[in-house]
Amino acid sequence: MDFYLTYILSAIGLFSFSALFALFGVYAERKVSAFIQDRLGPTETGKFGTLQTFADILKLVQKELIIPAAADKLLFILAPGIIFVAVYLGFAALPWAPGLVPSKLNLGLYYFFAIISVETLGILMAGWGSNNKYSILGAMRSIAQIISYEIPAGFALISVVMIAQTLNLQDIATQQGILATEKIKFLGYWDVTTTGGVLSWNIFRAPHLIIAFVIYFISSLAESNRAPFDIPEAESELVSGFHTEYSGLRFGLIFLAEYSMMFLVSMVGAILFLGAWNTPLPNIGPVHLATWTTGTAWGILWIGLKSFALVGVQMWIRWTLPRLRVDQLMNLCWKVLTPLAFVCMLLSGIWRLWLM
Amino acid sequence: MTLLQILFYVMGFIAVASAIYVAATKNLVRCVFMFFITLFALAGLYVLALADFVAITQIVIYVGGILVLILFAFMLSGKENLNIIQQQGSRLMNLSTLPALVLAVLFFVLMVNMMGKIDADNLDWIKSSIQNGNVITPDANVTDNIGINLMTRYLLPFEAISILLMVALVGAAHLSRKERTA
Repeated sequence: MDFYLTYILSAIGLFSFSALFALFGVYAERKVSAFIQDRLGPTETGKFGTLQTFADILKLVQKELIIPAAADKLLFILAPGIIFVAVYLGFAALPWAPGLVPSKLNLGLYYFFAIISVETLGILMAGWGSNNKYSILGAMRSIAQIISYEIPAGFALISVVMIAQTLNLQDIATQQGILATEKIKFLGYWDVTTTGGVLSWNIFRAPHLIIAFVIYFISSLAESNRAPFDIPEAESELVSGFHTEYSGLRFGLIFLAEYSMMFLVSMVGAILFLGAWNTPLPNIGPVHLATWTTGTAWGILWIGLKSFALVGVQMWIRWTLPRLRVDQLMNLCWKVLTPLAFVCMLLSGIWRLWLM
Repeated sequence: MTLLQILFYVMGFIAVASAIYVAATKNLVRCVFMFFITLFALAGLYVLALADFVAITQIVIYVGGILVLILFAFMLSGKENLNIIQQQGSRLMNLSTLPALVLAVLFFVLMVNMMGKIDADNLDWIKSSIQNGNVITPDANVTDNIGINLMTRYLLPFEAISILLMVALVGAAHLSRKERTA
């Protein structure tokens, strides 16, 4: 029965990680936005305002759970749970270090792609259940955007899978470092199987994957409803979109889902394109930097750093770029990103056949 | 009862109960959300049958695609239209429901009959498959198998379906296109 205990413990661990990350993420977001807009951000609560998010959570927990009289009560109550669980389930297949993965799925990437689409259903549930025009408009905008951007994201992912030849995220991770069992070539001709480091990451194994990475990153911003793709909760037009009517812990759960989603898509991006838990330091002659910095603890450190860096870029983009209009958003998706993603997929096929 | 059997019965119960709710309820939007639970339970049953690829495809296509499109249609049609459907009478025995009822009863009789006749544990083709080693183990990589089969043995149906989808795509684009000449 020991392994059941491990299952439960790893699930609890992932949950507490995503909760802690949300706390940290909200604080970081405020400080980053303050820095970009030349303000100070939270300063009063705790040293440098570090206790501000704890105070916010405390306030949120005490608040009354309001259900609008005209709402569909069942859907309204269930929606935040479904939104969060969908994002949380996505963590199940992501590897953290060599040999450390919650679930060794051989369909890991496909599973991630499927489970993310469940979130859209939760958002529709929240929008419809609230029985409010703003909410339903926000939900519909959100769904239209998520469904559209799943296509370029999906093709960017497929172009990685064509290079890696597997859907198992742990295998994709192992291929991008010194632990690889097959031959890794930098840009298709220089054998770096024993050198490892940054040279064997997927974006350098096949350089067109850099384009695929940018496509994936833009689509992931849209899928997690982050600016510049935040028309679903455009506060100047829609109050706050599909979560207008939520209060207290339910709102907290939606917020938690948003921040977990940010980390989840960043982590998948890091795993697929940026070498997963592999070290960026290569082996140079007798200095075996890569060998020294590969291991379970190192793996967690590297994947954490890479994902946090991507989350940081997400925040930077949010506070720098203005919001896209609906037609601009759809133009970008269908006329720019989708054809580019198709080209990436084609290049992956050619690369695999002739250069690997 | 092993854990697998318990899981099978739990998911089977969820699938059947939610399907009955979908068929019986008058609240169309709730019905669609309940259908989502049915599909998830079915995906779980697929996993138990070692068809994990089918299970995930089911979630991608039905939950992420078709259900969302159905809900979109609801949300664009407004509450008044939905309320009319809810106010219709609900008599089980009715002249208009008679054909459906007859069909359902006949199908049920047929199914019960088959269940009685068939000896599911001792079918010939299952026995011969086990003898020839033509079985899938829980750690098998089903995706490779599906991919190779699609590109070799089932290439013609695969291509025929892609042409059908292409035709549908072109048709949709044509229908939604605005005429340039005013």
